[in-house]
Amino acid sequence: MKKILKNREMGLVILMIAISVIITLKNGVFLRPDNILNILKGNVILALVSLGMLVVMITGGIDTSIGGMIAATTMLVGNFMVAFTGNVVIAFSLGILTGTLLGIMNGLLIAFVKIPPIVATLGLNSIINGVMLYITKGSYINNIPKEFINFGKITLFKFIPDGKGGVIGVPIQIFFLIAAIILTYVIIKYTKVGRGVFALGGNKISAERLGFNVNKITIFAYGYMGFICGIAAILHTSIMKQVDPNAFNGFDMKVIAAVILGGVNVMGGEGSITGTLLGVGLFAIINNGLTLMGISSNWQKIILGTIMVFSICFVVIQRKRASKHIVKVEIE
Amino acid sequence: MKKTSKERTLIVVFIVIFLVLTFLSPDKFLTVKNIRSMAFQFPEFGIFALAMMVTILTGGINLSLVTTATMGGVISALIMVKLYQNGVNETLTIIIAILTAMVISTLCGLLNGYVIAYIGAAAMMATLGTATLFEGVGLYISKGNSISGLPTAFYWFGNGTVFGIPVPMIIFIIVAVVTYILLERTPWGQSVYMIGCNKKATMYSGINVNKVVLGVYMYSGFLGSLAMIIMMSRYNSARVDYGSSYLMQTVATAVLGGTAISGGYGKVIGVVIAVAIMQSISTGLNIFGLDRSLTNVITGCILVGVLTLNFITGNFNLKIKKLLKQ
Amino acid sequence: MGDSTFIKLANVSKTFPGVKALDNINLEVKKGEVHALVGENGAGKSTLIKILSGNYQPDEGAEIMIEGIKYKSLTPIEAIRKGIIVIYQDFSLFPNLTVAENISISNQLEIKGKPINWNEIKKTSIQALDELGINLNPYDILETLSTAKQQLVAIARALACKAKLIIMDEPTSTLSKGEVELLYKIIRNLQAKGIAILFISHKLEELFEVSSIFTVIRDGQYIGTYPKEQMNNEKLISLMVGRKVEFIHQGATLIGDTILEVKNLSKEGNFKDISFQLHEGEILAITGLVGAGRTEVIQAICGIAPADSGEIFIQGEKVKIRSMEDAVKYKIGYIPENRLTEGLALTKSVEDNIVLTVLKQLRGKNLLISSKKKRQLAKDWIAKLNIKPANYNMLAQKLSGGNQQRIVIAKWLAMNPKILIIDEPTNGIDVGAKSEIHNLLRNLSSKGLGIIMVSSELTEVLSISDTILVMRRGKINGILEGKSAIQEMIMNAAILNKPNEPN
Repeated sequence: MKKILKNREMGLVILMIAISVIITLKNGVFLRPDNILNILKGNVILALVSLGMLVVMITGGIDTSIGGMIAATTMLVGNFMVAFTGNVVIAFSLGILTGTLLGIMNGLLIAFVKIPPIVATLGLNSIINGVMLYITKGSYINNIPKEFINFGKITLFKFIPDGKGGVIGVPIQIFFLIAAIILTYVIIKYTKVGRGVFALGGNKISAERLGFNVNKITIFAYGYMGFICGIAAILHTSIMKQVDPNAFNGFDMKVIAAVILGGVNVMGGEGSITGTLLGVGLFAIINNGLTLMGISSNWQKIILGTIMVFSICFVVIQRKRASKHIVKVEIE
Repeated sequence: MKKTSKERTLIVVFIVIFLVLTFLSPDKFLTVKNIRSMAFQFPEFGIFALAMMVTILTGGINLSLVTTATMGGVISALIMVKLYQNGVNETLTIIIAILTAMVISTLCGLLNGYVIAYIGAAAMMATLGTATLFEGVGLYISKGNSISGLPTAFYWFGNGTVFGIPVPMIIFIIVAVVTYILLERTPWGQSVYMIGCNKKATMYSGINVNKVVLGVYMYSGFLGSLAMIIMMSRYNSARVDYGSSYLMQTVATAVLGGTAISGGYGKVIGVVIAVAIMQSISTGLNIFGLDRSLTNVITGCILVGVLTLNFITGNFNLKIKKLLKQ
Repeated sequence: MGDSTFIKLANVSKTFPGVKALDNINLEVKKGEVHALVGENGAGKSTLIKILSGNYQPDEGAEIMIEGIKYKSLTPIEAIRKGIIVIYQDFSLFPNLTVAENISISNQLEIKGKPINWNEIKKTSIQALDELGINLNPYDILETLSTAKQQLVAIARALACKAKLIIMDEPTSTLSKGEVELLYKIIRNLQAKGIAILFISHKLEELFEVSSIFTVIRDGQYIGTYPKEQMNNEKLISLMVGRKVEFIHQGATLIGDTILEVKNLSKEGNFKDISFQLHEGEILAITGLVGAGRTEVIQAICGIAPADSGEIFIQGEKVKIRSMEDAVKYKIGYIPENRLTEGLALTKSVEDNIVLTVLKQLRGKNLLISSKKKRQLAKDWIAKLNIKPANYNMLAQKLSGGNQQRIVIAKWLAMNPKILIIDEPTNGIDVGAKSEIHNLLRNLSSKGLGIIMVSSELTEVLSISDTILVMRRGKINGILEGKSAIQEMIMNAAILNKPNEPN
């Protein structure tokens, strides 16, 4: 099984390299540092949220409420900042608190009321989205305090040549992503609840029998997703310098697509951070590259959809082939 | 038609909501005009909900439902406009266009069904991929624009009436009845339920599970095209992002209507009532001048509420049984 | 009670609403002892296991003494800490995790507040595997291993948990002969370490092979504890059942023409050169050790896993069966081994399950299914096969094992089969209900049906088959006549390379 995963990840890498080569041939700008940083900055939110989705999907569940959670958090924090202060630390704290609480609500519905994840998160999404739109009437927030906007503009390591003769730095949001990657890695590899996520996704009954607190693990997974969404909300606002309540419609499908591309098993129990990041990477490269090649964004969806369908079929067919070769009886 | 407690709860909820709305605003809610306007709006959603329900029954899901329909719609609208502009007979144009939409959406369903049944990919993943693909095709063909200039006679599908009953409503009723008959009164339909309950046992009983599942996704795609035809007629144009908010709502509605998300259980009548509940709430809020966004809140609450209620009564029933046994 | 006793149960009862599952059970297991727990299905064995593992709490007045200390009841964590580890039939393992993780996972759960230590995991697992003398790669992912190897991992985990009592529930149901031998070796190894084993199995031959002492329970009651020397098959069965069960051979009344012939059926990695004939009115048993390829052969005949080469003839005509649908076309019915996961839709009614093979025939004049016809058909079969309770609306999961099996049989009888293929017809069904199913099968064959029965239970095979095919390692190693065969002949053909021919 590990071999298949490794194969898949290698396959993604090869695909990414191949596509990059094709794009670069057409338009050398692709590999220019400032473009690469562009790609990174443009997909940092997708990558971040995908990490949270990975954890949820390993438990065998799914979260279709991320659009609502992020939008609601941006609204809440945005309004707060306009009314009170653009202090970054307070903004983050508020965002994280909001996101985590919303995520925990999902977890409670799923763990205790035993509502299937897709349904619980759908319902919660409706409620959160509805409440948020009702309170804010869907209006944009354009007057974010300067303090916060300046934070969003920060870049570090300002010595990377941008290929145009100047120097640029790495946007600060990327570092948050890196921190999230490290945090997620540590959690799923080195904590009880992290391994519990895999155990739960692998065999729920065994997990219960062995004394894993399945409810706690479930609430943690969805709470973590909410936590990540909270951070994503703040970072997004810092990038866009405004709050748009409709920015995240349909975002959940994008995230799920990226995570699935990265090799997560919808049934649960399998998935890796590397794979997820590769999936996001592939998404990102296709989007950016095709634009650089002058191919309309309409083609991007077609190409992406085709890649998804093929990669899913590929993995399934490989699995079937592997199981056919299992020798059942040692013939005399 | 057997009615179990789930459906009874739903009917009660619907009646309660209906009565509350009537009571709160008798002169606006329970009028012919209002009922009629509801009857024009909800069929397209209702057909989508049924299309989603059949796939959920097999233990799968059809995330490409809406984009399949819109892609077929966009292509069919283009053909319709081209033919109409070139002076082809209006009726013929419309017939060709409708058939095009149906064929395209059904073929999309064929692709879905093939990948899910014959290749064996998980429904959620497969339909997510095809949804992206079809959306891309639709966007490419329509260049993201609205396609308008549809023949005037086409107006009838979404806005006409027959004996006072809106045409969309008639289409929906026919769809609901046909779906009911297919599911509950044909061998194919019974297989659908059994597959959702235990695919292996059904296969071991000699039923060609792959063929049945293929049919389910084709039927789902086909129904989607019907919904799209109604939408195109009502909006007098076709656009890829029509109905985009419907996708998740149809899942919620199907579940509200008593369909088990893992498959094997679900009744047409339940889904129909759930659609009626959703529509009543939406209209009611409109009448009271309340923001549309509250619809989402209330439907979300009802969904979670009804499921919680099911859970509690499920536990309650078990406890009563244990008490009675003593 | 000396200090050689690990655990002693006294006055253990368990009452559920309306049912007394256990009544005053006594059980004493000594360190290093292999103790067989014997009883029919429903006798209370699983309830007892759950009390030992802490998943159930016994009624008031129970005494559980572990290494001299008395307890009234246990929680799951306490039981594990005291060294009571259960290896369930499904192993309770995680298919997506590595061998090492599976072995060490319970230990990791015990550690509070510290991060997961992967070095520890590696060390613990390698140590456990070494102690058992098992050669497995700790980094392999569990689901890539065969069932037998997975079981070894489960045992290794028990060892890593510092088990003092390992409860094995039907450990050999999925093992081949070689794997069973390895299990015996490991059990002896564990014994030598002073670990006690509570062994539950329906395979009496195995119980006699490994255990030194038997405790019998029947209908929740403690019947007695007996050392092996005082015990034999007959005595054991009569204690389990409470009555003397005699096995009289029931043969066919009339055997007719050949309805099925199989020639040189082969499938790589499954079986080779299988040839035999089945006649009307005949019950043909295919037996042999688990892993001999019996299920694979019948699944090839049913089209579920078609053979690579060879021919199948139905009533003289050569046929191609590539799917269960084809098999049904040729009037072959298949009753699988696992009726819960493969034979029934548990959350559907008895009625829905019975009519599944004949849906097209339920259609009325308007081509739609007539619920009247459906109900009538279901009621007819419920009556004919004596399915209890006689409620067509009841969910299949609520009936007992024997009745559930009847539903599956009814489902096939409804389509008027000519050939019925059954895999382990009385698996998990208690002795009383077993003989009823046997009578049923004999009845059916007397009406002209040809029946192929795969079975691991020799008494079953000997009592109702007309012909016995013994398979060994994917090939037919012996063909015996039902009425003259005896156990030894079957075992010889199942085990030995060149069996002695029966005279």
